[in-house]
Amino acid sequence: MRKHALMRKAACVALTAAMTLAMAGTAAFADEPIVVGGIFNITGDQSSLDEPTQQGFELAIEEINAAGGVNGKMLEAVYDDGKTDTAVCASNAKKQINNDGAVVLAGFSDSDFAYAAGAVAQEAGVPFVFTGATTPDIPSTVGDCAFLCAFGDDVCAHAGADYAVEELGAKTAYVLTDNSMSYTTNLSDYFIERFEELGGEIVLQDYFASGDYDYSAQIARYQALGEEAGILFMATGPDDASTVIEQYRSAGVTGPMISGDGWDTDLWGVAGDLANQDVYVCTHFSSDDDSEAVQGFLSAYEEKYGKAPENAFAALGYDTAYLIASAIEACGDDVTPAAIRDALENTQDFPGITGTISYSAETHVPDKTVVVCQAEDGLLKFRKNI
Amino acid sequence: MINSAYFMSMLISGLKLGSIYAIVAIGYSIVYGILRLINFAHGDIMTIGVYIILMLMNQAGVPIPAALLISVAFSVGVGLLIERLAYRPLRDASEETTLISSLAVSALLQNMLQMVFSAQRQPFMLPEALRTTHKIGIVNLSTINIITFISTAIFLVILHLVLTKTRIGTAMRACSENLRAARLMGVNVNRVVMTAFAIGSGLAVIAGFLLAGEYKTVYPSLGFVPGLKAFCAAVIGGIGSLGGAVTGAFIIGIAEMLFAGLVPTTMTAYRDAFVFLLMVIVLLFRPNGLFGGSETARS
Repeated sequence: MRKHALMRKAACVALTAAMTLAMAGTAAFADEPIVVGGIFNITGDQSSLDEPTQQGFELAIEEINAAGGVNGKMLEAVYDDGKTDTAVCASNAKKQINNDGAVVLAGFSDSDFAYAAGAVAQEAGVPFVFTGATTPDIPSTVGDCAFLCAFGDDVCAHAGADYAVEELGAKTAYVLTDNSMSYTTNLSDYFIERFEELGGEIVLQDYFASGDYDYSAQIARYQALGEEAGILFMATGPDDASTVIEQYRSAGVTGPMISGDGWDTDLWGVAGDLANQDVYVCTHFSSDDDSEAVQGFLSAYEEKYGKAPENAFAALGYDTAYLIASAIEACGDDVTPAAIRDALENTQDFPGITGTISYSAETHVPDKTVVVCQAEDGLLKFRKNI
Repeated sequence: MINSAYFMSMLISGLKLGSIYAIVAIGYSIVYGILRLINFAHGDIMTIGVYIILMLMNQAGVPIPAALLISVAFSVGVGLLIERLAYRPLRDASEETTLISSLAVSALLQNMLQMVFSAQRQPFMLPEALRTTHKIGIVNLSTINIITFISTAIFLVILHLVLTKTRIGTAMRACSENLRAARLMGVNVNRVVMTAFAIGSGLAVIAGFLLAGEYKTVYPSLGFVPGLKAFCAAVIGGIGSLGGAVTGAFIIGIAEMLFAGLVPTTMTAYRDAFVFLLMVIVLLFRPNGLFGGSETARS
């Protein structure tokens, strides 16, 4: 009996070992697709940014596969909804790395989710390209596996201050800050820093928390100043944008408003025509660009989804997929997370439709151009590249 | 910077908010008075009602008064259904149990709304006629604001009459005083509770309509915080006192706006926290609220 049991155990071990070897063998030799993970907040507050991002990303993946894949291998994108919840985002990252075998991850338009999911990827040594997150210190906080596809908030807010001073002639500024998000508090700080550097004066900075639907106290306080500021810098997320415009404009506030890429969203939903009155957005991309690459993206997107890209985040998703593909291509046959990370870091002058991306060991935040647009007749019209 | 016009505008904004909270609070006060149930889902019924109105208005082209009536009827149905499924089985459980049950209902309703209508904010536009602003003295009020003030007063009077002059009203007051004794005296408790939920749900929808109309938008979590503030109002005013609930609602609305308007700007984002703190402070000094009689613990 004893001898039999022992032999059975030995047989089991041998069999398991053989199976493991066999599986490893197939993985190494067969032409299996390369799994790329995409985590986007398709539901919740972030959905107006993340849904277009995912659609842009998917469009690029399809184009890459239709053109023969990367080094002869197909890309397989797996998507999970982060539900605008940091905990869900983190567990999705874990799932995509451990269960789906993703070798590189992409996603997020807001930094809070980037920190949460980025930490998981960093621990596993899997590179993560953040499509639209813009806090410049993400790579230094999360680690060397984190890359931003978009410019940093500092660059964005500085461009806003430059535009306000140079093009709109602003000497005084009012700043409204949503203090429940790190994106908006950072954006305000960078704007104030640059605006004061340029010799401007901040007449008032006021705060609210995302989800407050009543801004009458803030508006009354602003109006009590007695005169309009040269520029109103409105650091809010996409959800509050239209409501903020509607209430400020309805109350008779006429000063020009400017904001960051969070306002590259439907500004007209609640505000209607009021959004066409002197509202500027500093963002990543303008569909007014008539270069072949941009126009090609626009028509491909429209053909696939039956509508023009909702905002610049679709373009960021599209660029991220091509950026990842170019890094995988540079890896040759050695498609491992570590090799992709190294290849990403060595990216030089990658020509995206949202600008040119270069990384180095020192910085994983690309130095890209900011596009300033003005809200006009339901669209964001190109004004200036900064 | 703080001049009288500024102060007045804060005060008026506070009154606007307060009158909306008041309509929710009188409904809340009745339900809480009878069941001692902190109904987290109360505000979500309000949201459901607003979405129904939005659908009827935009997709079916139903005129507003009819849309409002249909929505009230539908939401009363939802309120009764929730009472039947989630609260009645727990009638004899502790207050904490029903509180948790109501929190679950609230999460369920919000997520259902999100699945059906998406999490995006949707515009909720009332016709131009309701949005016109009138200048009364130095105060600007829209038609919908004036309707809000008047309807708050009307609902208060009607409810007061129902509670004091009708048979079901007497039964409700009896249940509020002592549920078990009322049951022993032959009061049909289920009928009383259902009436309370019907009134609460109906009023919540009307308040939701006014709230969404004032801020021109609706989203799945719209009613949650106003629902909680209405609860605070009912508690501050003193449970069982309709006048107390209305007073509490105006105190909260005005205090919230004055807080937001008068504190240093870095504090403005904490207005909700302030409202809840206010409730705690009032309860420390007046455990039964401002107008609540001294109450012995219910058996």
